[in-house]
Amino acid sequence: MSTFINGFDEQNKRISTQQLLHKIYTAMEEGETVFEVQASGHHDIGGPLWTKDGSPLKFTVRNPGQRVGSFGMVGTEIIVEGPAPADVGWLNAGAILTLKGDGGDTTGHCAASGKIYVGGRTGTRTGSLMKHDPSYEPPEMWILKNTGSFSFEFMGGGIAVVCGYDSAQFESVLGDRGCVGMVGGTIYVRGPVKGLSKAVWMLDLDEADREFLLANMPVFLDKIDRPQLLAELTDLSRWKKILAMTYEERQRQERISLKEFRTGKWVEGGIFGDVVTDDYDRVANFVNAGEDRLKIPHWQNKAYGAPCQTACPTGIPTQDRINLLRQGKIKDALELVLNYSPFPASVCGQVCPNLCKDACSRQFLDHPVAMQELGRLSQDASAPAKKPDTGKKIAVIGGGPAGLSAAWQLSLLGHGVTLFEGDKEVGGKLRQAIPMERLPRQILDSEVERIKGMGVEILTGQKIDKAAFDAMQGNYDALVIASGAHNPVVIPFPGHERLVKGLEFLKQINNGENPRVGRRVVVIGAGNAGMDVALGAYAMGAEQVTSIDVQRPAAYQKEIDHFTALGGQIQWPVFTERIDGDGLYTKDGRLIEADTVIIAIGERPDLSYVPREWLTDRGMVDADDCWQVSRAPAVFAIGDTIKPGLLTHAIASGREVARFIDDYLAGKQLAAPKKPVMIPQAMLSKELFMVQNRGRFRVHDAKNEAHRCISCGTCRDCSMCLESCPEGAIVRTEMADGSVEYLSEEKYCIGCGICAGICPCGVWAMESAIL
Amino acid sequence: METVKINDLACNDLPWKVIYDTERCTLCGSCVSACTFGAISPKVERRRKSFSDTETPEPKIKFSATPVIAQQNVLKNFCRGCGVCERVCPNKAIRSERNPDSRFHVVYQASTGSGPKRGGRNNLDPHYRTLDTLRVGRISQMTDPSLDAQRHTFDCLAPLGRILPAAKLPFTVGQDGKLVKNGHTPPVRWIYPVIIGDMSIGALSWRMWEAVAMAVAYLNEECGLPVRMCSGEGGMPIRLLKSRYLKYMILQIASGHFGWNRIIKTMPDMIEDPAGVLIKIGQGAKPGDGGLLMAAKVAPHIQAIRGVPKTDLLSPPNHQGLYSIEESVQKMFLSFNAAFKFRVPVAIKVAASATSVSVFNNLVRDPYNIVGGFFLDGIDGGTGAAHDISLDHTGHPVVSKLRDCYQAAVAQGRQGQIPLWAAGGLGKTGNLAADAFKMFCLGANGVFTGKLILQLAGCLGNDHGRCNACNTGLCPAGITTQEPLLVRRLNPDRVAENIVNYFLGMDQELRKLMAPIGNSSLPVGRSDCLVATEKSVADRLQVQYVC
Repeated sequence: MSTFINGFDEQNKRISTQQLLHKIYTAMEEGETVFEVQASGHHDIGGPLWTKDGSPLKFTVRNPGQRVGSFGMVGTEIIVEGPAPADVGWLNAGAILTLKGDGGDTTGHCAASGKIYVGGRTGTRTGSLMKHDPSYEPPEMWILKNTGSFSFEFMGGGIAVVCGYDSAQFESVLGDRGCVGMVGGTIYVRGPVKGLSKAVWMLDLDEADREFLLANMPVFLDKIDRPQLLAELTDLSRWKKILAMTYEERQRQERISLKEFRTGKWVEGGIFGDVVTDDYDRVANFVNAGEDRLKIPHWQNKAYGAPCQTACPTGIPTQDRINLLRQGKIKDALELVLNYSPFPASVCGQVCPNLCKDACSRQFLDHPVAMQELGRLSQDASAPAKKPDTGKKIAVIGGGPAGLSAAWQLSLLGHGVTLFEGDKEVGGKLRQAIPMERLPRQILDSEVERIKGMGVEILTGQKIDKAAFDAMQGNYDALVIASGAHNPVVIPFPGHERLVKGLEFLKQINNGENPRVGRRVVVIGAGNAGMDVALGAYAMGAEQVTSIDVQRPAAYQKEIDHFTALGGQIQWPVFTERIDGDGLYTKDGRLIEADTVIIAIGERPDLSYVPREWLTDRGMVDADDCWQVSRAPAVFAIGDTIKPGLLTHAIASGREVARFIDDYLAGKQLAAPKKPVMIPQAMLSKELFMVQNRGRFRVHDAKNEAHRCISCGTCRDCSMCLESCPEGAIVRTEMADGSVEYLSEEKYCIGCGICAGICPCGVWAMESAIL
Repeated sequence: METVKINDLACNDLPWKVIYDTERCTLCGSCVSACTFGAISPKVERRRKSFSDTETPEPKIKFSATPVIAQQNVLKNFCRGCGVCERVCPNKAIRSERNPDSRFHVVYQASTGSGPKRGGRNNLDPHYRTLDTLRVGRISQMTDPSLDAQRHTFDCLAPLGRILPAAKLPFTVGQDGKLVKNGHTPPVRWIYPVIIGDMSIGALSWRMWEAVAMAVAYLNEECGLPVRMCSGEGGMPIRLLKSRYLKYMILQIASGHFGWNRIIKTMPDMIEDPAGVLIKIGQGAKPGDGGLLMAAKVAPHIQAIRGVPKTDLLSPPNHQGLYSIEESVQKMFLSFNAAFKFRVPVAIKVAASATSVSVFNNLVRDPYNIVGGFFLDGIDGGTGAAHDISLDHTGHPVVSKLRDCYQAAVAQGRQGQIPLWAAGGLGKTGNLAADAFKMFCLGANGVFTGKLILQLAGCLGNDHGRCNACNTGLCPAGITTQEPLLVRRLNPDRVAENIVNYFLGMDQELRKLMAPIGNSSLPVGRSDCLVATEKSVADRLQVQYVC
């Protein structure tokens, strides 16, 4: 016998939901368990309700409002005779709810257990957020017809069955955009489905599915009073199953990759394929080896000249000498210099201002390499081997440093040389003018002997005049004018006749004539020769020597130091007004008292034997940069006949002219060779050398300089690069001739530039492969 | 003895200092191999110390010479702070540090007789941005039908093209009661409200440009996002002009008119119309200045596309044939409408300026219905190359100006007829969706972005002066260079993927902002959705002030 709960009062006026629910509570307290509810849109009928003894509750409801059966508990059965609005079975917690008509929106929303049977259609968001707590049986929701859109949104568990009966007019029995956000549960569906979320699988039924549907379909149809549909709805061929993708499956990329897009769909060959060549599949790193390097190292041994070599007019490569010393090839080292100069001891070792040392990179650490001492060590070195006799005959006019250098080099090249010297012995100014204390005779003589030993025919006492010169031209394949500059320049200020000419003064000294000087001497001209004259004046007994110049003295510091150490004074700028018995008057009216005034401001060549038209306006030979006389191709001119210079310039021009003549005789076009470029100091890693204490520094044996020389621009074979290369890309190879080459292997090299950055010699250079 | 002189360049003069830890360094060479600027080099350091370790002074010398990595103190290869050295160092031994005492501007100008240039960034004070004082403050969860960003459908589309008001549409009612079209309607493209903007071939490496183009095509074809891209003033690859993907491209014409010869010649072979034409008058980051492509980037294929020899390419600051606003409408709009037989919308891009509203008002009249959009570019945008003086001292922020233009249109009842697009530092803090959304609310139909795209490609620069070397052609990321070895560093697939992913994320984020205000289409002009936490901003933009 059921209890009737009426939604209307005695006046047939609708009571509130609260009043109706209180009626149920009251009846239950009286032990009633079976209810027949005549509702009028009353909410929340059916739960959460339970009996103390666990006996079941049953509600038969007509015309309920929203959320009928909500919070329904195990043991509760609710039957709705007809349709119901939204939220049927909301949060169903175990009740069995049968809705014989249609359900509103969100039917079964959040149902987590129990069963919901719907005999009609349901609205939007049906089954949304259904869940399954594994401690209980999963919730079930059976729907005879179809659902509205957004069905089963965020479904997390449970089973839904949508039978699609009487739904032919719908494109989709699950409405549009079903199963969005569905992460769990199973939906069985019969009929067309459109607009389904892409994150679910639509599958065929398996055996367990079929068993489930066949076993439970009769129960459902029985509940909704439609058993006659059993055969139609158990034709399982039209059924499908929807499952949510697993978490892992949802993470999977659904789209094609960009590479697939590029290679499969994009403009074939790329949109720049017609203007650039580029393999897009090849992507470089920040750090790359091989052809992707940003910088490429090159071992460019000797691409640059050492400062000593490039500063030396003769171009003597001291770094090569020292490399030989370092290799223990002492003899080779000492002989090497003879390929450049026949006077290593006399000039390099004695009288040269040693421009090499002024340029030496080692000076920036402590002291320059002892190149002067090295030169002296070559005094007795034997001459290099001569080339085979060429049969050519060359005359050299003048046996000074230029002429002797030319004769020496020409001999080495295999030519026959006849040297004409006006004096009684060769040597030129080395012999005639350089004070003997600076150049001991026996040093000069031994080096002159070495030249003579080459087989050079030396004819002394030969004053060459025009006739002799003319006659000479036909007799030789080439002629070298090297007669030097021996006419002192004198400025005709008043009293100039009182002047002593410096060169003559020096020649007299070296001739042993002991020219007389007064107590006080003024030397006009503070160049190299001026300093020699000033020293000579002291040597001849002067007490006070004053050297004057119109400009900063051109003499080298060591010459000046020598002079001032003797008490000499240098004054500049001083312009001479006149000279008389009191001394020298300057243009600003001072008198520099002097008993003797010597002028040493240079000399001019005496080229009276040369056709006038071969000379320049200044009386020098008009020669090109290959020392070839412009008007006489077989005649060359060198040394002071071209332009005044140092001894080393004269030696250099002698060496150079030999090459030019060699080429000339071979019929080659003459071209001045490119001189090596001095290596920039920044390329050298001098920091690798330990600085020696300057105060304690002494040259004991110049051969020890092997350790001090930096070997600028020339590989010293230290292997610092090889050991430092982070990729071990550098290979050292010993060549057949005993030389060594380094190479950075492209396939390993990353272009870091450490080799170049740390090379003491500046031999490695980095080529940039980008801008 | 060191011989350093007072005016010798020192690291103190430069914008970045390389900090190096010789104890941690293994001389692996990575940093010096990777640095594209040559700002660091290996060298040897001498370590020499005298010491005594006995009871009485007995001097000893400890000497060693150690290879190290050192900064190059030169003007040409100065460190840009790109941080690649730090990135590649396995030992955290090297990094660049911003030098607050830099004398760079002074020494550069004093040495070269020219002001410094840079690329990529405006470097405005990043601590204050107008958009950051705005919040989406009107939340409709209870007051309006609430939308769900994930489940609802949203209409994220913006017009490019001239929108006619209903009354002006050339329709009449036919005898059968149906509408009959009896006139030309201006073309309108409904596209994604974020255009990838205005980076030329030349400014970008070919891999980068193609990656962006691919991303755009992919977004359209694989993701259904109708994103468009503007070519920039450097012409177009012929293969792209001839492809079906041309429909995603907006062709730019700027004062140099570079690249149009090839575009015109290719017209008979085009199988699609382009998405639009953008007439570039000015650029927000360097208003009043024309394009600047340094010679280092004018590679052979760019010389060919642009029809010029290798040189610094300076586009004139003005279109040579334009003398007034009227001219620009009559001549440029008409010509480019005619170029594609009035089938393709034509818009104009100007630098935000004190005069922008006048310009806009003038365009809004548009009696011939040929003005398809007004693109307003603000000061905070990026640029491939510009003089520092332009970047640092010219320009106008975009936010208030966009608002002014929108309100000017509203005052005439013509809002929406000439679509407003805005740019200039949008997405600078990484979130373009938020910036774009706020601009929509203030009246923009859409926004365009460039700098953010570089970030997506792996740009190492930032708005604090880091890298900013786009002008040098030595981009360490292969983005803004034409050096094959550097271009090769860029993975075009990866870049395109980053852009695609960012746009997909941005699309989600846009919905996340549209849902709470209850709009399922773009909230153009819905300034009621915004609140401002700065009173001055609130007053200026006419939005609610909150605190």
